[in-house]
Amino acid sequence: MKNREKKKELEEDHAEISYEDTSVRELLTLMKDNSELIADLAYASMVFENEELADEVRHLESQMDKMMYQIRLKSMLGARTINAAEQLSGLLQVASAAEQISDAAEDMVKLLDAQVDLKPILPHLLKKADEKVFTLNVEEGSDLVGKTLGELRLESVTGVRVIAIRHKKKWFYGPDGETKLKGKDLLIVRAHEEGYEKLWPVAHKQKRWKELVG
Amino acid sequence: MKAVEEELLEMKDTSELMLDLAYSSLLYHNQDIAEEVFNLEQKVNELQDSISTKILENNEDMDPDKSFILFKMADSIERFADAALDIADVVLRDIELHPVIKESLKDSDEFMVRKEILKGAFLDGKTLEESEMTTKIGMKVIAIRRGDNWSYGPDKEVKLKAGDIIFARGPRESEEQLNKWTRVNL
Repeated sequence: MKNREKKKELEEDHAEISYEDTSVRELLTLMKDNSELIADLAYASMVFENEELADEVRHLESQMDKMMYQIRLKSMLGARTINAAEQLSGLLQVASAAEQISDAAEDMVKLLDAQVDLKPILPHLLKKADEKVFTLNVEEGSDLVGKTLGELRLESVTGVRVIAIRHKKKWFYGPDGETKLKGKDLLIVRAHEEGYEKLWPVAHKQKRWKELVG
Repeated sequence: MKAVEEELLEMKDTSELMLDLAYSSLLYHNQDIAEEVFNLEQKVNELQDSISTKILENNEDMDPDKSFILFKMADSIERFADAALDIADVVLRDIELHPVIKESLKDSDEFMVRKEILKGAFLDGKTLEESEMTTKIGMKVIAIRRGDNWSYGPDKEVKLKAGDIIFARGPRESEEQLNKWTRVNL
């Protein structure tokens, strides 16, 4: 009985995504991108002990489960020969690895719920990693305001990758080229120290953006 | 106890390199890179074992919260590394890769590139640090092939030479700049 209920629950859970017309190619790209974002967000939520970032990790993880289900369905429909089946099993293995990453990330953020004090250990530790997560305030009137990440080519000019933005009280995760920066935005970024130090003065109106580009 | 923390950091950096290498091995169907992912997985496992051993041995002196956090972090990171291994495993199996895999990787936000450095190019003779590849164009070199020799996750003192094939990851818009830096501009 219990199993049947659970099965029904699962079916309902998947119903909304079963007939979505997303191609295997799009799904796999999305799963890869998400797996990278989710790992970054997990580390960031540890460094800043931030529950909202951790919630997004949980949300993305459940999205990944759904995408995994969908990519499995679509792959099965596509396998008509043994050769195709072999190739698709390889593809599913890649998708499943991305899903495993999101599972591990979700597990990591459980540390926030445990009754332990992270502060003396993790933020300090993760600040010594090769690439680190930082926060960056975008000051009103700085050259970043009103520009999209794509217009700025932020990552290619500074090596700084934006993983989340807090605007007023709302969070945006995994921004893309069309995402516009606004005054008083709080950015969570992943970067090398040097790249972050390059961008910081621009966000704080001490330097013009074109000085970096030139 | 400092050593444990350093080992954890090394696990983190290695697991990230492994993932980049794994996706790169898929994109270029490159067995050498895929094998390196296997070697690095061994390293990650050894680090995790060493962390666990040290925590257990120092059980009495160590703050239990701290032991718990380090254990949990090491566990999650080890699972990141396992995922990278699973990806590389697809390359090492003797089956053709599904064409969609390559297309998907090319559509991804994070771009993987492979370039040969030509004689007299901007990068010829520069160390990675001097090239300012990470800070100026956001590209991170994850592997260099020089003849039959590979260098994975090279550090910034490594000097690039003509004939080197570099594998890097970074934003799509930087590919053009990397083209300019690896070729000879007239």
